[in-house]
Amino acid sequence: MSKPRVAIFDFACCEGCQLQIVNMEEEIIDLLSVVTPVEWREAISDQSTEYDIAIIEGSITRPEDEERLKTIRDRAKVLIALGACATIGGVNKLKNNFGMDDVKSSVYGEARDMPHLSTYPTKAADEIVKVDYKVHGCPIDNREFAYIVKCIATGKEPVIPYYPVCVECKEKENVCRFEYGEICLGPITRAGCDARCPSNGAWCFGCRGFVDDPNMNAGREILEKYGKTVEDLMHRIVLFNTGRKEE
Amino acid sequence: MSYYKMSEEDLRQWVDHLLSKVTVYGVQAKGDRFAFNALNDSSSLRLDYDVTILPPKKYFLPPKETLLSYKGQKYDSVVDEKPFVLFGVHPYDLAAIRQMDKIFSSDNNDIHYMTRRNNATIVALDVQTPSAHNFSGNMNTAVIEGEYDILLTKVDSSYVVDVRTGKGKELIKGMSGLVTAEMALVDSRHKVWEENKSRLRAYPLKPSLSEIPGLLDKSREHPVWAEKAELCFSCGSCVMVCPTCYCFDVQDEAEWDLSSGKRIRSWDGCMLERFALVAGGHNFRKTKEERYRHRYYRKGKYVAEKVGEISCVGCGRCVSACVPGIANPCEVYNRLKED
Repeated sequence: MSKPRVAIFDFACCEGCQLQIVNMEEEIIDLLSVVTPVEWREAISDQSTEYDIAIIEGSITRPEDEERLKTIRDRAKVLIALGACATIGGVNKLKNNFGMDDVKSSVYGEARDMPHLSTYPTKAADEIVKVDYKVHGCPIDNREFAYIVKCIATGKEPVIPYYPVCVECKEKENVCRFEYGEICLGPITRAGCDARCPSNGAWCFGCRGFVDDPNMNAGREILEKYGKTVEDLMHRIVLFNTGRKEE
Repeated sequence: MSYYKMSEEDLRQWVDHLLSKVTVYGVQAKGDRFAFNALNDSSSLRLDYDVTILPPKKYFLPPKETLLSYKGQKYDSVVDEKPFVLFGVHPYDLAAIRQMDKIFSSDNNDIHYMTRRNNATIVALDVQTPSAHNFSGNMNTAVIEGEYDILLTKVDSSYVVDVRTGKGKELIKGMSGLVTAEMALVDSRHKVWEENKSRLRAYPLKPSLSEIPGLLDKSREHPVWAEKAELCFSCGSCVMVCPTCYCFDVQDEAEWDLSSGKRIRSWDGCMLERFALVAGGHNFRKTKEERYRHRYYRKGKYVAEKVGEISCVGCGRCVSACVPGIANPCEVYNRLKED
């Protein structure tokens, strides 16, 4: 197989996930032995309309983004969503909890009606086009990114954790945050991060999105046991998972 | 078999002596809980711990381990041959290791597990502080006879050091000023054992152990499975912390040359949604209820029939790890007995 040409495109995001690829440092040379980048705004100045693999970072927040994404999808054989903004909409979906006029006024004030500041409710990449692979997380874990790239290069289906963060949290021998009377999104959030937040004393923020079949009914009943309310839970869920189907 | 008497101070000196020769994993505080970890010196060793977050199983079957490295068609097994001492294993955890030894040495002898196991010297320790959820008294594992290389029992303010095996003897070798324990002290351990058998019963268990496999046999359609599973997150916490769970997944991880890499084994668990997913996309335990029920059948019947004892040692870790509070085996077996 000849080296696939890769283009990385950013939409609404902080570009921190691209930065994680740049942060691969000495491994970048190895990465380049497997793929050839033809467009990657954060690292090279080339641009191209011909590529095999498109990597999409960021979420879709304007009608014109949607058109651009469709064009990219048409040109690419494989499309990868990179990071929480692209895979689940991420923090950009927080604005979907408000009216778009309020959002625009709050952010842009008097300038809100200028044409380049148009906005609409945030969407994840797969709400618009077919996504072949997802690199979850905020930010992504560049080891997982490397693993997925190697799988694509060898024609192997990557095995991405489908189970909750609790699995990895137990492997890390952490005490459950619930035992300390805190709400943690670990039981409903996709693993793959090595339970990084709970291992460092925080609760799980849910940045890798929900597991395929989160038990939201259990969530409500269990909250009572720990003296918490659905409101407490939703307050945490909206950060990365506003508008997910299970609400 | 020989018996020595040590003060706690003697014991710590002994551990420091061991640390100059070999890796010792002992129980240390982890926040307000406890965990087995590599010891640097004896001062951090806790002999009064109630229970560790993970069982010492992690030293024989680590959460992640490399089974082999490959290059093209060639491969080399990766086997960890470093000797170590596991210091302060409670009887219920030792009973679990006894079951795991049977599992990993029968059928396909697992060289990764068995090499670690054969290179380990186990210093057992009778429980001094019961944990809130320990029900090992119900499971006949509050006290253990044999299986250890050395057993430590605290009687009043001193320890009886019961050296049982050649490996145990090797560990005590070179210690100066060893005092042989008088028989009266050795015998007084029975008081500790009787006390532990009766106090390590955080939950009542109504059926007898021999009754459990038969009880399960006729309970496939019991309402308790659906009732409890309703609250299950399929998060696998109960099986990840279990000292007798040993299921694993195996995946390859390629290097950048794409032709060499490692084969990695990692913990897996029957409570996870895709555990029973097979080629072709069929999942033969698709629902939470089927998976929840399976855990009890596996503990109380399938593995029990294979190793000759119920595959639950009553450590209570699943009870504390389960956020919805549905993982208590006593509660479930009692329900089956009642109805």
